[in-house]
Amino acid sequence: MLLKKAKAGALLDAIAAKERLFVPADDRGTSRFVAYGAGVEPRFDLLNTKLPPKDLLFPATETLYRWSRDGADLAIDSAFAETDPFTVFGLRPCDMASVDRLDAVFLTKGYVDEFYQAKREAATFVVATCAHPGRACFCDSIAASPHEAPTADVLLEDAGEEWVVTPQTEKGASAVEAWKPYLEEGDAEPIKAACDLKVDMAAVPEKLKGMFDDPIWSDIGDQCLTCGTCTFVCPTCYCFNIDQDVREDEGKRFRCWDSCMFTDYTAMAGGHNPRASKESRVRQRFMHKLTYFNDRYDMNLCVGCGRCMRDCPAAVDISLIIDRIAASEPAQEKEAMAHA
Amino acid sequence: MADVQDTIRERAAALLSSGEVSAVIGWGAGRFDDVRFPLVVKRAEDAGKLVFDASCVQMTAKRLLEHTGEGKVALVARGCESRAVNRFIADHQLTRDQVYVIGVPCPGMVDPATGETLKRCAECQVRNPVVHDELVGDPVPEPKPYRFAEVDRVEAMSREERRAFFDEMYGKCIRCYACRNACPCCTCRECFVEQDKVGWQGKAFNVNEARYYGMIRAFHTGDRCIECGECERACPMGLPLMVIMHQQVRDIDKLFGPYEGGGLTDSGPDPLRTYKTDDIEEFM
Ligand code: SF4
Ligand code: SF4
Ligand code: SF4
Ligand code: SF4
Ligand code: SF4
Repeated sequence: MLLKKAKAGALLDAIAAKERLFVPADDRGTSRFVAYGAGVEPRFDLLNTKLPPKDLLFPATETLYRWSRDGADLAIDSAFAETDPFTVFGLRPCDMASVDRLDAVFLTKGYVDEFYQAKREAATFVVATCAHPGRACFCDSIAASPHEAPTADVLLEDAGEEWVVTPQTEKGASAVEAWKPYLEEGDAEPIKAACDLKVDMAAVPEKLKGMFDDPIWSDIGDQCLTCGTCTFVCPTCYCFNIDQDVREDEGKRFRCWDSCMFTDYTAMAGGHNPRASKESRVRQRFMHKLTYFNDRYDMNLCVGCGRCMRDCPAAVDISLIIDRIAASEPAQEKEAMAHA
Repeated sequence: MADVQDTIRERAAALLSSGEVSAVIGWGAGRFDDVRFPLVVKRAEDAGKLVFDASCVQMTAKRLLEHTGEGKVALVARGCESRAVNRFIADHQLTRDQVYVIGVPCPGMVDPATGETLKRCAECQVRNPVVHDELVGDPVPEPKPYRFAEVDRVEAMSREERRAFFDEMYGKCIRCYACRNACPCCTCRECFVEQDKVGWQGKAFNVNEARYYGMIRAFHTGDRCIECGECERACPMGLPLMVIMHQQVRDIDKLFGPYEGGGLTDSGPDPLRTYKTDDIEEFM
C-alpha cells in the first residue's frame, strides 16, 4: 500500500479525529513531537527533531502520588492513570530504536514501571524511513538503519513522492486497516539510504572495561561543560530524580529527568560525592552508553541519532570518542608493553 | 587567519616546552570543517592540534578555572576571553600571575548554522584583547555595533506582549544549565540551583521553574556580565538570553553610569556591589 505524501494531511486529520496524534513539528524555534491540531504543520522533512520523543512515554516531570492532610487524617492518592490510545506519526528509525531501549529499562528484568507501561501500551508508533541521513547520523553502524525499524507498528518507507506502508505488528495492522480510505494500491521503490558517518563498535564495549583510568576521560572533561544538554536531547537517556512539592497540608511526589552530568545527581546525604569531578561524570555517560548497558541488556544505549553532537555547546562528539576508544590499545596489552 | 593559527601553535609549543605554562587553552578541530571545540593542550607535541579560524565559536575562558593550581595556564584570548580574564581577577577566581594571555584580535566568527556572523560577534563591543601578555596578529578596528535592537523591541512591547515573549522564551528552557556552566560570571562553588537543602530551585520542569532560574541567574550576573554572549550561544534551545543581559547593562548605565559592561578592567567597577558611605540615598 502507498501513502502519497501530499495526502498525508487528510490521513492525519482522520487519525486525530479518533485519538491523540503526535507529529514532528517546529515549536518556537526548536522542534519536537507536537500534538497535531489546528495550526500544527507536520515537518516530515526534518530528519530527527531537536527534542526526542521520549517525553511521550517518560515525561520530563510526572507526578507519582499526591497526599493531603486534614487534621489527623492523611490521604495518599496514586497519580497513576490509564492512558488513552495515541499515535506517534513520523518518528525516525533511531527514535524507534530508542523506544526499544526504554522498553528494556522500564519493562524488563523483573520490574515493570506501570507509569511507563500504560503509555507504552497505548502508543502506536509509525516510523518514517530516512531518504537522506544527516551528516551527524550514524544509526546504521551502532543500533539501527535509516531504512528499517523492526519494532515499529507501521513502517513508512520513503519512496520520494510517497511512502510504502507496511504494518509490522497487530496494532499496526488494525491501524493500517482504518487508514485504507487514504491509501492507494500499487508499488514504489523505497529509498534504501545509508549513513555517511560510521563508527566501529565491534571492540568498544569490551575495550571500555579496561579503560576506567584512561586519559580519554580527562581530555573530554577538559572540553565538556557538564551541562545537561546531551542527556536531555538524547532519546535514550532515562535517568531520573524523585522529588517533592510540599505545601502546608498537601503535596506531591514526582519524578523528573535528571542528568549524570550534574554534580548533584550523585550527591549523597552527608556530603560525599562519588562523581565529584567532571572526568568521572563524563566517563559515566560514555561507559553507560557503550558498555554497562550492553552488559545488562545486550545492546548499545546509543542509537546514533547525532543529537548530542549537534547541540553540545562544547562540540563533544560521541562518534569521535567511539573512534578513539576503538583505536586504543586494550589495557592488558598496554600493561604488557609497559613491562616489556 | 592561517598566520595567526601558525603563531598560536608556535607560541603554545614554546610556552609548554619551556615549562612556563602547564597548559594552553584554545580550540581543536572537530569532525567537520565548521566544528571547533575548546581544547586544553598540555604537551608541546600536541600544540599542532590547536586551530584558529572563523569556526571557533565557543568562548573558552571558563576552562581556566579548572586548571589554575596546576601552574600558570595560557589562554588564547580574543576580546571576549580577555574580558573574562579580568572578570575572574575582579571576582578573585584567579590572580593575574596565574594566567598567560595570548591575545588575538578577533575578526568575528561565523555561525555554522547560517553562514553569517555569529550573533555574539555581531554584537561585540571589544574585539581586541583588553589584557594580554603578548599579541598575535594585528589589532582590528572596533566597529562597536549597536547591541540593543532586541532590547528596544522588547521594551516597546505592551505588558501583555512582554509577558507572552518571556513565557515563550522560558517555556522552551530545558534547564540544562549550559548557560550557567559556560558563563565566566557563574563561578559559585555551589550554585543556588544545587542547594537542595534550602530548595531554592524546584526540580520539576515547567515554565515557572525555568523563569525563576533565568531571573536569579540574570540578577547574580547583572553588573558583572561581560556581554560575551556565550550563554545565548551555548543554549541548545535558542533562548534570546542576551535581551536580559543587554537590558541590565543599559539600565545600569542609565541609573549608575557611565557603564559599558563588565570585564573591561580587572577591578570592576561592579555598580550593584559598590557602595559609598556618602551615598545620597538615605538608607546607605
Ligand atoms: S558533552 Fe556537551 S552537552 Fe554534554 S554535558 Fe558536556 S558540554 Fe554539555
Ligand atoms: S548518545 Fe547522542 S547520538 Fe547516541 S542516542 Fe544519545 S543523543 Fe543520539
Ligand atoms: S540517525 Fe538514522 S534513523 Fe536517525 S535520523 Fe539519522 S538516518 Fe534517520
Ligand atoms: S542553556 Fe538555555 S535551555 Fe539550558 S538552562 Fe540555559 S536557558 Fe535553559
Ligand atoms: S551572562 Fe554575560 S558574561 Fe555570562 S555568558 Fe552570558 S553574556 Fe557572557
